Amino acid sequence: MSAIILLSILGVVLLYMGLGNNKRLLAPVGILGLAGAGALSFLDRRPLPAWGHGAMAFDDLSMAFCVAMAGITLLLFVFGSDYYSRTQENVAEHYALLVFSLTGAFLLTSYQNLLMLFLGIEVLSIPLYILAGGKKRSYRSSEAGFKYFLLGSFATAFFLMGIALVYGMAGSFDLKVIGDYAAANAEHPAALFLVGMFFIAVGLGFKVAAVPFHFWSPDVYEGAPTIITAFMSTVVKMGSFAAVYRLIGVHITALPPAVERTLWAITILTLLIGNLVALRQSHFKRLMAYSSIAHTGFLLMAVLSGDALAGRALFYYTLTYALATVGLFVVFTVAKRAANGDEHIRIFRGMFKSKPWLAAATLIMLLSLAGIPPTAGFLAKYQVFVLAVQNGYVWSTLFAAVMAVLGIYYYLKVIRETFTTNEEGAVLQLNATNTAVIAVCGVGALLLGLWPMGLI
Amino acid sequence: MQILFYLFAAVSILSALFVVAAKNPVNSVIALIVCFLSIAGHYILLNAQFLAVVHIIVYTGAIMVLFLFVIMLLNLNKSTEPQKSMATRIAAVIAGGLFLLTLLGAIKDGIGIANPDVYDGSVGLVKSVGTSLFTEYLLPFEVSSVLFLSAMIGAVMLGKKDKGQPDGGEISGAA
Repeated sequence: MSAIILLSILGVVLLYMGLGNNKRLLAPVGILGLAGAGALSFLDRRPLPAWGHGAMAFDDLSMAFCVAMAGITLLLFVFGSDYYSRTQENVAEHYALLVFSLTGAFLLTSYQNLLMLFLGIEVLSIPLYILAGGKKRSYRSSEAGFKYFLLGSFATAFFLMGIALVYGMAGSFDLKVIGDYAAANAEHPAALFLVGMFFIAVGLGFKVAAVPFHFWSPDVYEGAPTIITAFMSTVVKMGSFAAVYRLIGVHITALPPAVERTLWAITILTLLIGNLVALRQSHFKRLMAYSSIAHTGFLLMAVLSGDALAGRALFYYTLTYALATVGLFVVFTVAKRAANGDEHIRIFRGMFKSKPWLAAATLIMLLSLAGIPPTAGFLAKYQVFVLAVQNGYVWSTLFAAVMAVLGIYYYLKVIRETFTTNEEGAVLQLNATNTAVIAVCGVGALLLGLWPMGLI
Repeated sequence: MQILFYLFAAVSILSALFVVAAKNPVNSVIALIVCFLSIAGHYILLNAQFLAVVHIIVYTGAIMVLFLFVIMLLNLNKSTEPQKSMATRIAAVIAGGLFLLTLLGAIKDGIGIANPDVYDGSVGLVKSVGTSLFTEYLLPFEVSSVLFLSAMIGAVMLGKKDKGQPDGGEISGAA
């Protein structure tokens, strides 16, 4: 809880610092605050099991998610000290909004009733709508912000309606009461409860960009500033999956069969569409968007396996995915600058010749996303498949495995560009902070695979 | 009491229909105000005074005035129907119809309050709303301040004119 308070204050402090002229201090202060928030959430886990009249409860999993999300945001702030060095406009607001959005993600890891879930999702999303449209002079960014805002509010309306219906049937916002109600009426669930659960699934499906609620994601990923895209595909994904897992993995475990079938259908569709469409992308940010949709499919499978260890698998998966993604977006920004703003994957061409170590890090991160040993991404996917098979979902696992193999192809496309030697690539400018972020991400993606540190 | 309920119900349904059917956007907004007022009447019938007052102040007062201002400032009071292709229309009708069927199927069994015996009739009074807001729901109440703060930052950030931007900047309008 103290971490959430610290983050809220940090956001306000950053805002006030924007009044001064020294924009260079913003990132260091933000980094300090984020480190403090990570440490506080680590210290918080024991003394406060429940808070706010049972509105929130902290456990080891929520602690792990909080620390990891603070860490990823910290990496993004380090990247931001370079990313925002070329602009003077609204930098403090951008940092503050990122911190506020992280506050929402923290709420999502430890909520105990639907009210807090709703607030968490909104606190997470509203700053993102603004940040996606943060480049005010760019049409694509404004379009992304507006599209995200309109579609997001639409999804929120569904979500809220679902909460109202579930509340009406179960008589409480509390997750335990709703879980007991669902278990007691598992045979013949009331129709209104079913509709409510469907609506909640629509709202959350939109947040995690599951098919068929994924249409916003490629456009928004493409239009938003790169650092925001990186935040959306990492921290937001971690927070939303912590929320999804808490809702249907921990509390409402006795899902009505109709809802469970629907969720499996969504999972299969997400795996299929995400991977198939990604094959045809040559724009890097769109490629990452569809890759993120495909990963959503694997993560949903872990949640639906219903295993008691699914939470750990989810945490490990999202952490490795986030590390690789942040690093790749930093590499992408460096390459994009050298290519005068081009965003096609050809900007990676010849990187091995000019900067072999950078190319090696890129290789590791792409292999981790593709799920090839010995990187962390392999262990993550393997873990999900094991959970699904252990719980009897053999056919779905086979299908997911085929899709994972298919997915390797589009990551290989980027790798091929990186290691083309017959052409001289552009001159890449790497400074110390960006190198540090890429190194942390690359080494992390490799080390977590070789030595998972008891995370799985 | 029952007569009042039917009166409010009839007024809200008719005015809601008029909102959709009216050709002129200004008439639409006026009908929406009537609709909101009659819904506030429903709240009073349910002994939810706080909700009724907030509904009138926020929706009927603030938001509807904003609507009217936007419509008048943008001079939208012409009856313009955006033309949609046939395929879009058919798809919209099918999707909306399926949605209606789902909802009808859901309320076919009837809607009941989960536990009518424990229902407290004074739950909507200002006093009880205030008490629960500052005790049981204090945390959500405080957290929502972060939400409003970020929304406010967004409005200022996207709305204000930056240095060096020409008057009526071509993009700032999109925000």
